[in-house]
Amino acid sequence: MKPFDYSDEKISQRELGFAIPSVVIGVSVLTAPRLLAQATKFADGWLCILFGGLIALLFTWLTAKLAARFPNQSFFEYSSMLVSKPVAFLVTLFLVFYLIIFTSYEIRYIATISKQYLFDRTPAEVIGFAFLLVVTYAVTGSRAALFRLNVLFLPIIIAVLFVVLLATIPLFDWKHLFPLFKTDLKGYINGTKVGFFSYSGWVILLFYTGLMTNPDKAPKVTAAGMIVPMVVYTLLYMTTIGVFSNIVTRNLVFPTIEMAKEVKIPGGIFERVETLFFTVWIMAIFSTVTLLFDASIMALNSIFKKVKKQTIIFILVPIVYLISMLPKSLIQLVKFGDVLDFLYPIAEILIPFILFFIAYLRRKKGHG
Amino acid sequence: MAFNKPRKRRKNSQKAEDKEDFSIKLNTNLDDNIENIKKLLDDPNDLVTRTFSIGHTKYTCAVAYIDGLTNTTLINQMIIRNVQAEVESPETKVSEAGAPLLDRLYNEWLSVGGVKKAYSLDDVSLAILSGNTVILVGGTDQVIIIDTQGGPERAVEEPTTERLIRGPKVGFTENIRTNTVFIRKRIRDANLRFQSYKIGRRSKKTLIVTYIDGIVHPNLISEVNKRLKTIDLDDAAESGFIEQWIEDSFLTPFPQLEHTERPDKVAQALTDGKVAILLEGTPFALIAPITFSNMLHSPEDYYERWLFSTLIRFLRYLAAFIAVFLPALYIALLSYHPGLIPYKLAFFIAASREGVPFTAAVEAFMMEITMELLREAGFRVPQPIGQTIGIVGGIVIGQAAVAAGIVSPIMVIIVAITAISSFSLPAYGLAISFRILRFGFMLAAAIFGLYGIILAYIVVNIHIVNLKSFGVPYSTPFAPSFKGGWKDIVIRAPLTTLGKRPGYMKPKDKKRMNKGGNTS
Repeated sequence: MKPFDYSDEKISQRELGFAIPSVVIGVSVLTAPRLLAQATKFADGWLCILFGGLIALLFTWLTAKLAARFPNQSFFEYSSMLVSKPVAFLVTLFLVFYLIIFTSYEIRYIATISKQYLFDRTPAEVIGFAFLLVVTYAVTGSRAALFRLNVLFLPIIIAVLFVVLLATIPLFDWKHLFPLFKTDLKGYINGTKVGFFSYSGWVILLFYTGLMTNPDKAPKVTAAGMIVPMVVYTLLYMTTIGVFSNIVTRNLVFPTIEMAKEVKIPGGIFERVETLFFTVWIMAIFSTVTLLFDASIMALNSIFKKVKKQTIIFILVPIVYLISMLPKSLIQLVKFGDVLDFLYPIAEILIPFILFFIAYLRRKKGHG
Repeated sequence: MAFNKPRKRRKNSQKAEDKEDFSIKLNTNLDDNIENIKKLLDDPNDLVTRTFSIGHTKYTCAVAYIDGLTNTTLINQMIIRNVQAEVESPETKVSEAGAPLLDRLYNEWLSVGGVKKAYSLDDVSLAILSGNTVILVGGTDQVIIIDTQGGPERAVEEPTTERLIRGPKVGFTENIRTNTVFIRKRIRDANLRFQSYKIGRRSKKTLIVTYIDGIVHPNLISEVNKRLKTIDLDDAAESGFIEQWIEDSFLTPFPQLEHTERPDKVAQALTDGKVAILLEGTPFALIAPITFSNMLHSPEDYYERWLFSTLIRFLRYLAAFIAVFLPALYIALLSYHPGLIPYKLAFFIAASREGVPFTAAVEAFMMEITMELLREAGFRVPQPIGQTIGIVGGIVIGQAAVAAGIVSPIMVIIVAITAISSFSLPAYGLAISFRILRFGFMLAAAIFGLYGIILAYIVVNIHIVNLKSFGVPYSTPFAPSFKGGWKDIVIRAPLTTLGKRPGYMKPKDKKRMNKGGNTS
């Protein structure tokens, strides 16, 4: 009975449920409609989003199920129990690498888009640096507080997105959505790949589920959390196609922001809603980045137990910054994204799946 | 850890002093005792010592008290007169002096409620200095201490810092007894607890921790007591000393205890499962723990009907937003994103800024600092001149600055709306922290525009989710949220639907009302 001490770093199931949409909804929202429009015809991409989302949901559930078997154990501890210590060491390092690349990519992305939509003279290096400083401040705090932060931010993010979607109703043209089902099988497969890739981020469950007060509930709440991005993506995609039509969408670099540009707020209090939309969207990307970065710190901490969290942060931050500043242009940044797309199936599907399979076969369970 | 060290060392040396201090025992000789008391206090002229005989017996006793601190009528009527007159009847034969005589005084002749015995000179001096009266009898080393506290006192008034339109019109006073009475009069529960402490090495003020046993969580009480026990300072002049000593973190603009002058607010906090701390000599009671949303609530929210209260709360959240963000948004929009402003307004602003020699950021900082100066001057200036400050500030500076072309009229409007918004917040403590944050946001906006504002907003949020007030996260009940918590944050649901005490307090008794009513 110590209810007044919340500092025991435990995460409630609701908070973990909020974390999934927080980590998934990030920069991919801004570009996903374009990539889907390129892969499919008319508005057929919605099938791909839903199908990709279902696969993501399945693996989220699986990842949470795996981690929930080992409550109060770090990832390194339970993976070394399953696949021997050296292999677990390599797997953890690989995940850290993946998470850091992911973090750097998001930071670079926000710096680039900020430069495009908010500033014209400020260099991306400075914008990214300021953002990284805030992220660093967030991860130096308590881990439970980070999850509280997501609970605070997610409703704002979703609300702003829905305001923009509602405001597009006058611009919406049903004719853009039809005819249905004109895409060939190859298009669907490509589209599903795109759709599936925009759900990345659930790998953090490998690390966080063990911190829950009630890990058994993790698979259920995280799967429920995954439904939020599915709904958001589907609505967003349909609206973008409805507003712009498929042809226009596939030629817009950031269709979501462009859509916000078209929106008129009734009463004319603000013009150029896209700036406001993007400003709030920084919060969404911030949530994603902090969770990914914190997960990488946690993974490293599980290997090097004696090293302080602060030390790890101060070693990682410059690395993240340097990696994020590597791409010189948007095209290079897209190539950078391709690297991530290559790592993503290994980190988020293969590793959890194999570990889960081994745990299931060997009937290993945590002692928690 | 480094901060704790000096405090610990001080505590040890204090213990050593204590041992020497409390070893002085009383004498058995009456005159010697009086002499000692006089010597101890250096025979001040407000110390009254009077020796008189007990009734018609041959024995004498003495009273000692400080004039002005005591209720003299009580001493004259109930103590001296009783002892002189009562003892004359023949049945009350007094045969022996010393302790038995003292006992008879104690048991039979003193018609006062608050009476106790004491043995050491230190207790005696503390009693005298607290406004109690000491009765000394020859032949024994015991004395009787009688509760006769009195002295000048401010009348009960309406709380000046927290006025309500609807609600009780009494406020706490500097007298701690009056304050506990106000709480007792509101909560006639046998489980209402008052734990008292003596605070201050020199001042020895009474501090009272009050809560309702059976509602409050025991861990909260032990945490409050643990922190209060570490207090060791000369004098706590105001409850602010206590607040700053026991708060969770001093590296924050946000207050972690709420101060109030309103007994009804304290009573409500107690029934919510919170703890209140009263200190002698100040009308400001402390309430702990508090959360961010608490600070935006007013007791009146519950006195008025729910619809109005809900709308008022919307207004208050809007006011909080304006008080923090408006000047920063002005800077950001004008310097970085003029495209966001509707074009008609943009033309108007551009025209009104024609000839203003400063950038928007400099202009905003200048006017905000002027506003802060005016506000401070308004508080400090003697009451009769207060009006003058308003005229000087509002008309002369505002009008003249615009006419001279130093600032634009739109800036004056922004500053005025910001000031009005920050005055409409119910908690002064939060209004102060918003004033600090406003300048931070303005700085962020001056450097990075909207991007800076959103980053600063994220930083403030990170700070709030990490901050705690007695173990309760400051962001409660937004996050972590509790079942039904939404009913009393931004909206105030109808009273009958608020059947549960706030979940984040983890009250032992969860229900605060029976919705069906007591019909059986």
